[in-house]
Amino acid sequence: MQVLPVVHHDPADEVAELRLGDVPLRQEVELVWIDLPAHEAEPLLERGVLPGCRICPVRSSPGGDPIVSIDGSLLALRRETADCLCVRILSQLQEAS
Amino acid sequence: MAESQAVLDGTLAPLVALVGPPNSGKTTLFNQLTGLRQKVANYPGVTVEKHIGRVSLNDGRKLDLVDLPGVHGFSARTLDERVTRDVLEGRLEGMKAPDALVLIVDSTRLENQLMLVEPVLELELPTLLVLNMSDELDERGGGVDDAALAARLGVDIVRTSARTGEGVADVRAYLTGVEPIDRSIPYASRTLSNIPRTIELPVVDAFAHRRKLVREIVGDAHFVPPGPSKMSERLDAVFLHRIFGPVVFLAVVVLVFQSIFTWAVPLMDGIEWMIELSGTWLLATLPDTWFRSLLVDGVWAGVGSVVVFLPQILILFLFLGILEDSGYMARAAVIADRSMYRVGLQGRAFLPLLSGYACAVPAILAARTIDDERDRLATIFVTPFMTCSARLPVYALLIAAFIPDEPLLGPIFGLRAAVLLGLYGLGIVAAVGTAFLLKRTLLKARPTSFIMELPPYRIPSLRTLGLRLLDRSRIFLRRAGRIIFAVTVVLWILTQFPRTEAGAPDIEQSALGTIGQVIEPAIAPLGLDWRFGVGLVSSLAAREVIVGTLGTIYGVETADGDSLELLDALQRDLTLASAMGLLVFFAFALQCMSTVAVMRRESGGWKWPILQFSYMLFLGYVGAFIAYRIF
Repeated sequence: MQVLPVVHHDPADEVAELRLGDVPLRQEVELVWIDLPAHEAEPLLERGVLPGCRICPVRSSPGGDPIVSIDGSLLALRRETADCLCVRILSQLQEAS
Repeated sequence: MAESQAVLDGTLAPLVALVGPPNSGKTTLFNQLTGLRQKVANYPGVTVEKHIGRVSLNDGRKLDLVDLPGVHGFSARTLDERVTRDVLEGRLEGMKAPDALVLIVDSTRLENQLMLVEPVLELELPTLLVLNMSDELDERGGGVDDAALAARLGVDIVRTSARTGEGVADVRAYLTGVEPIDRSIPYASRTLSNIPRTIELPVVDAFAHRRKLVREIVGDAHFVPPGPSKMSERLDAVFLHRIFGPVVFLAVVVLVFQSIFTWAVPLMDGIEWMIELSGTWLLATLPDTWFRSLLVDGVWAGVGSVVVFLPQILILFLFLGILEDSGYMARAAVIADRSMYRVGLQGRAFLPLLSGYACAVPAILAARTIDDERDRLATIFVTPFMTCSARLPVYALLIAAFIPDEPLLGPIFGLRAAVLLGLYGLGIVAAVGTAFLLKRTLLKARPTSFIMELPPYRIPSLRTLGLRLLDRSRIFLRRAGRIIFAVTVVLWILTQFPRTEAGAPDIEQSALGTIGQVIEPAIAPLGLDWRFGVGLVSSLAAREVIVGTLGTIYGVETADGDSLELLDALQRDLTLASAMGLLVFFAFALQCMSTVAVMRRESGGWKWPILQFSYMLFLGYVGAFIAYRIF
């Protein structure tokens, strides 16, 4: 995996190296950080793709791009974009809460 | 535009703005409230369409409703967002600030859709929150406490199903209570929270804050998200399947093609026949004066060459409308995105490029859905390379005259079909190559992210489809019609001068003939003489006009593509090589003033259309020269 400069992320999130693009289907994850410049992140932010939100890849497009579910909406992303979304897997404990 | 402004300025009718995210059912509600009493224009200076309509209120008064573009926010990142913000703040010239707002959301996705609620409430205008698709929310086991939500937000709430029309009466009842706001009180304080765009952190923070607020709001309103839509999941399993997905996609493309090239043909022939018949009747009825000539050869021919495309445009837009409203178009864009991305375009370019096979004018307008400005420019730049239907009569004529009707692969696929297919291929190759080139030079940018919302599948409403068809045909007739009409009349005038004693000169002596002779040296290397110069000049109105012009020049009575006399004349005056050259020229060159005019409008200046025209002309000339040398 390519090493990216760490731009503002909580020291507590040591697992921020996991990217949405690597998450298997139907594995719900929490978004930790969007590794994109502001103008590219904004369309994501507007659609509710924000640090702290829960994302679940539900399908893969014929071209291999992820289709994710977030807040009951389906979003199709490019895998290049998905690779810029740092996520962490929710542990059973956190999910229960 | 003047008309819609009169609607606003001439009366004291209150103005209400309809706001909402994309796919919230906004336009369906708008159509249900206004019906046919709506006008479409452009907002001043930008290419965003302004939909404004009249609502008859329960007490007999009238009210103006403006349907704003569907947006996710008001950060003014896209044109749509900027226009929405300007309308809401009353900053748009010729339009007063709204007196009340109707915010419509898809209640099955409340958390996502309420992201707009905070900036909307900041306007401090009377607001109605419409929970649309509430029947679906209930069906899928979700729920929300309307009263709690209304209390929390301090707004009125109405539940609707824009699909069945349920609740629309309640919206009308709310609108009846809207009173014009006294604007003598300064309202400058009413602004939308503008999100800072230069600093990285606060952007996220502003959205995160909004998100947190929305979560609190839906929590307080006891919102229970609905279960997944089983139907949508099942359809996606097919339409986005690794193998079936692309198969269905191709089938849809073939169907659209089939419809515009097979089903539209009888209608187009019928219209052509009627124009011809009425033209002949006019010729027989009116006395032989210059006026008759202007009316029949100028005006009638001009109107005819526009109207004849209408069936095709209508059928195309009917199909695209069904695809869009059903939710399939979003999936198609996702499937197309990978291959589009490779050539520097994006999935949303699929729709305009497909429309380009009928006519570039509506296709260029359809590119407005592309949110990235560079992507949009690249798309509309290459759209005219798609083989539009105006090229077909020219192709048909030249192929019939020069390509022998011989089988190539089996009995169905002959040499003629192969040449036609080759010309289509040529257009695609040129479009792809040009897009590739553009995105590496003039429109170079870091690849932007492509985010496509996939709305749940829905059954399209006939009313919305019908109104859109009406809308699109009006725009087409206005945009393409005016130009084609004007060019045809100018061409007619050029055939009338200089006057001789007998009246109009022979075409060779006319001003148009002179123009043909002037450009003859330029086209001589392609094996073409002045007659084709005249043809090429006249085809600037619309490509297929060259067929009629050549018919006139050769003194052929009926200038149909299959008329034998014209075919004989062409075979006498052209070689196979120059005919092939001419075909290639028509495949590439931008022989269409309507497209140029639309390009100027959509790109906001002359720079792009001039560049496009020169580039395509150059490509056409060079291509024709090469073809002439090869064959």
